[in-house]
Amino acid sequence: MHRLVWLFLALFFVAAPVGAADKVYVNGIDANYPPFAYVDKNGKPSGFDVDALDWIAKKMGFQVKHVPVDWDGIIPNLLAKKIDLICSGMTITAERAQKVAFSAPYWEVKNVFVVKKDSPLTINEIYAKPLTVGMQAGTSEAKWMADAKTKEGWKFTIKLYDSSPMAIEDLVHGRIDVAAMNYPPARDAERKKPVKILGTFGEVEEFGVAVRKEDQELLAKINQGFALLKADPYWEELIAKHLNQ
Amino acid sequence: MQEILTVLWEAAPFILEGAGITVVAVVGAMFLGLGIGVPLAVAQTYGTGSVRRMADLYVWFFRGIPILVLLFLFYFGLFAWIGLNLSAMTATVLVLGMTSGAYQSQIVRGAILALPQGQFKAALALGMSRAQAVWSIILPQALRLSIPGWSNEYSILLKDSALAFVLGTSEIMARTHFVATRTYQHLPLYLLAAAMYFGLTWAGVGVLRLVERRVRIKGYGETA
Amino acid sequence: MRVVGISKRLGGRRILDAIHLELFKGQTKVLIGPSGGGKSTLLQCMNYLIFPETGFIELEGQTIDPRNTKALCAFRQQVGMIFQDFNLFDHLTAVDNVAIALRKVRGWSRRQALERAMAELERVGLADKATLYPAELSGGQKQRVSIARALAMDPKVMLLDEPTSALDPELVSEVLAVIRALAQGGMTMVMATHQMGFARAVADEVLFMENGRIIEQGPPAALLTPGAATRTLDFCSQLEGGI
Repeated sequence: MHRLVWLFLALFFVAAPVGAADKVYVNGIDANYPPFAYVDKNGKPSGFDVDALDWIAKKMGFQVKHVPVDWDGIIPNLLAKKIDLICSGMTITAERAQKVAFSAPYWEVKNVFVVKKDSPLTINEIYAKPLTVGMQAGTSEAKWMADAKTKEGWKFTIKLYDSSPMAIEDLVHGRIDVAAMNYPPARDAERKKPVKILGTFGEVEEFGVAVRKEDQELLAKINQGFALLKADPYWEELIAKHLNQ
Repeated sequence: MQEILTVLWEAAPFILEGAGITVVAVVGAMFLGLGIGVPLAVAQTYGTGSVRRMADLYVWFFRGIPILVLLFLFYFGLFAWIGLNLSAMTATVLVLGMTSGAYQSQIVRGAILALPQGQFKAALALGMSRAQAVWSIILPQALRLSIPGWSNEYSILLKDSALAFVLGTSEIMARTHFVATRTYQHLPLYLLAAAMYFGLTWAGVGVLRLVERRVRIKGYGETA
Repeated sequence: MRVVGISKRLGGRRILDAIHLELFKGQTKVLIGPSGGGKSTLLQCMNYLIFPETGFIELEGQTIDPRNTKALCAFRQQVGMIFQDFNLFDHLTAVDNVAIALRKVRGWSRRQALERAMAELERVGLADKATLYPAELSGGQKQRVSIARALAMDPKVMLLDEPTSALDPELVSEVLAVIRALAQGGMTMVMATHQMGFARAVADEVLFMENGRIIEQGPPAALLTPGAATRTLDFCSQLEGGI
């Protein structure tokens, strides 16, 4: 019995990653954030950000691996060096910038309200009525919404979810009245579910790649890589493939 | 319907792989927990002074804090602080195992207390040391009595393992969630996950029941 | 073996009060007296299963220091103990019950230990039950196994704590027969019992204990002869009348 215990222990310690010999940068992604980052039905990380980073890595001569990480824990994971960068539709905020270094913005998104396809609600009614609005926890838009709600005295209550598709699911089943999220996942939902985008709210958000503050070398490579990518025809191809299907 | 079946068919290998990770995490944690729990139980029942207090403190600590908090505390806090760079999987097994150790110690302690204490005295009277008496008289019986408690602990651990995704261990739940957000087929996918958990519980409890039958002592427990 | 000035308190109550006892090789002493009189505690103090507050034990002129774990274990090997409720190891067969201490304490090989264990089981007439587990044995058989278990360690002294009290009446005689054979074979013994007939027949000396003291002691003929004006006899007639 005891030998078995030791065998197990040994296995796990040996199995822990060792080699820094061939440096592979690990990109932590929110696997529940289509179309920027997600995991395919067969387990392959995919999405706009994943493809973009793969292209940049190839161009700039480094290797990258995409690993799904819980969004709530993604910055602790970065700081604890479990991952090396976050290229996964992360909005640049002052709060986050205190802990991590951001690349130049590479994409802008609006935030939108999503309602059921047959819903008679209007934007103004959302702010005025005691409705329930579903949002993904730990996101910049959820934080903005909570702050603005207190300031403006809006009547709705916010319900937080692990991911915005779960909010969409509850919206379809009538458990919440409105879902609020970034535009791209809302577009994704609109295509797959009986829901529609009602209108925008909040500020335009800018996505950036996050790295540890001391990793300036990596940051420079990424900034340079995005500049090259945006000048390349592949950029339009990516947009067409992921964002404007 | 066709669409649902296609999604399930395509997602099954990916989620099944997650089941493999779940099994490794849970079985690893069970064994680690056993390795920690048995000495703890002995320390709590036969230990004196500071040994006993340390064991009490350990159990109190790990039972008093939610696993989610422990996972964060150890993975991002303690392990990193002492310079231990562990993979998410290793950290998952360690934290689940240490927590399970606290619970398993109580299973074993209960079993020890349920034994007639005269046997311990009889062993001492034959000239055995306390350690010998515990090792060759008390534990063989207490561990047998612990098996039903373990099958309980296994099924709890199996479900707790879903929390490990906060560290990036993508087991059944995390993977199901990925596919569900991608395809919006929540209900069939979570049914699939439920079926996998059910299968794993059934298999684990079955194995323990088999072990219980293998180590059964004739006539023992039937009269007691 | 000498017991010198043993005292023990439990929960503020004085269980043993400065007990002195001297036991010579080959002697059989019987402890009698009411329940709660301290018989069981005295026996357990005699091999330090209970640590007395004052006093000490001497074996063959050697004083035992109970804080020295090694010496304590060595001492206990020389003092066999039989309990009222047998305390067999439930997870081991009869023969393994007898053999385990030989293997663990003496470091004998499995074969050697099993051989000796079989010999001891034969001595108590249970060779044919060797592979049975305690739960499959009758009370009398269990007690005989426990005697074999103690004998296997070659004890110099045997302490028996009411070995027949937990037995159905029809099983008492088989156990007493084994003990009688031991006494006749020259074993040094102290036995607490309520079996007066047996005490009369086997004991070299009877000790009557009450309230933690030895009140009367002497050869059974002196204490138990009808008409003797002793507390012992009083107690025994009550006991025998009661049954």
